[in-house]
Amino acid sequence: MSVLQIHAHPTRTTVWILSWFLFATGVVSYFWVSRDRHRDNPDDRVMPTLRQMSQAFVDATLKPAEDDEVATNASEQSVAARIRNSMLWKDTAATGRRFLISMALLFPAVLLGLHMGMFPHVGAFFLRFVLFFDKIVALSLLPILFIAFGIDELAKVMLIVVGVAPTIILDSYNLTRSVPKEQIVKGFTLGAGDFSITYRVVFKQIWPRVLNSIRLNLKAVMLFLFAGEMIASTDGLAYRIALLRRHMGMDTIIPYVLWVALLLFLVDFGMRTLNRKLHPWFQEA
Amino acid sequence: MTPAAAASKVLDNQTDPASLNTPALIRIQDVLVEYGQPGKPAKRILNGVSLDIRAGEFISIVGQTGCGKSTLLRLVLAEEMPTRGQVLVEGSPRPQPDRRCGYVPQKYSLFPDRTVLENITFGLEVTEIGFFGGISPARRLRRKEFRAEAIGYLRRMGLRESDASKYPHQLSGGMQQRVAIAQALIMRPKILLMDEAFSALDPGTRAGMQRLIKDLWRETGTTVLFVTHNPREAVILATRVIALGRTGAEDDGANIVLNLSVPDTNEESKIASLIQRIEQTTFPGGGAENDEVAGAPEA
Repeated sequence: MSVLQIHAHPTRTTVWILSWFLFATGVVSYFWVSRDRHRDNPDDRVMPTLRQMSQAFVDATLKPAEDDEVATNASEQSVAARIRNSMLWKDTAATGRRFLISMALLFPAVLLGLHMGMFPHVGAFFLRFVLFFDKIVALSLLPILFIAFGIDELAKVMLIVVGVAPTIILDSYNLTRSVPKEQIVKGFTLGAGDFSITYRVVFKQIWPRVLNSIRLNLKAVMLFLFAGEMIASTDGLAYRIALLRRHMGMDTIIPYVLWVALLLFLVDFGMRTLNRKLHPWFQEA
Repeated sequence: MTPAAAASKVLDNQTDPASLNTPALIRIQDVLVEYGQPGKPAKRILNGVSLDIRAGEFISIVGQTGCGKSTLLRLVLAEEMPTRGQVLVEGSPRPQPDRRCGYVPQKYSLFPDRTVLENITFGLEVTEIGFFGGISPARRLRRKEFRAEAIGYLRRMGLRESDASKYPHQLSGGMQQRVAIAQALIMRPKILLMDEAFSALDPGTRAGMQRLIKDLWRETGTTVLFVTHNPREAVILATRVIALGRTGAEDDGANIVLNLSVPDTNEESKIASLIQRIEQTTFPGGGAENDEVAGAPEA
């Protein structure tokens, strides 16, 4: 039987093998090429070995960054304190803080989309402007943001908001508009007013979908955050990757990239789980 | 008055002499509904419709697909405003739907994010408890009373208490419509508007729902406007059947072509003759949905 048939029924083992095959191939290929390069040049920095990357990751987890002032007495501290002062932890905390502030600032975007969808005058006021704003490439605004807001945290957070908020506003708007008219009429006939219908009928129905939309935009959030950090920052995961690039520090860059991917995967998984727990009706429907 | 409106009035008076004595709960006066986009000719849906409906009547609105049955219902609901004419409920026009009219649509009749019990008590919660009402002990007690009342309605609708915690998508179509009726009736509306509420149900369930709604109407005395395209359903449920159809050109809009008082009878020959009359007036070329399984209510 051909494996390319639409009606093929791969066994569980086949599915497991197929789904991990590309991962395995990538890892094996990398270390194969890395071993060859190190055989030719033991000081090769482009493709570090597993041992080099492990050592660099342990160092990043337990040691402060070279430019960090805490570095002086680091070896005398407890493991917990060393992790707390470590380069990886501090970078993760800095990026995480910016990420959370940006996510919090996206909530008003959801409310704006909701009100635009519910109240025709609000929709007429904002829709054209948001549609226009959505077409502006956020990264092209970066110089303007740095000039307007300085190179501090605000500019980086604003970059994320400017980059992702229009998408979230338009998503919320479209989700609001897609709530069947019958539901709104039903709300009125049951004695609810405009705001009761907006928040108790429509918002409750679109919220899980909005969460999904935010979840699908996580990568865009991180993209804008990394752009901001790489250009103007003194800490953060992207700042560190950009800094290490100058020194060809691939032994740290690769674990950092994998660490970012893991964090994003965990946030995505957490949001999915939370959505499922909070809104059983949505997942089952 | 347009010729169509005049014809409608004559029909109404011929079959409805009691309307002269009793004030109308719903008065539809010479209503015209047109939909149009700039630069395109307007599409006329209803033209010169006039109708008085008294409290306690069970009105079936019947007609071919696209003849404006649901539009007429939406006008009474105040979800839509007529291009010309007016719709008065208790003597006054309404700017938007309100709790005087309960509403059971064909689809999306329940809030999907709420359980059956929460759906039924929704109206009571928003009108009497409010957003932060759960904080007050007196209101918490009131909420318990609502739940007890909702359970009572649930049983009356033939559902089990264990269904109370289910979400709408866990119920069958018939069960969903039962909950939707309970949700509307718990608010004690003066008028119950049902827009093809049983159309998506299988014939057996549909017959059961017909019995239920007729019994509830007898118990509560609520005025019911029931839109259907099934003449048999219209006859076995209603005290009066309003048939909509086009008398003039295709783009002239629909009007009332039959305003028929229905005697309270289970006699199959009488029912059949009424159905025949509706079909001849409303569906001259055939095409009425009239499945035999959706039979008359049990005696």
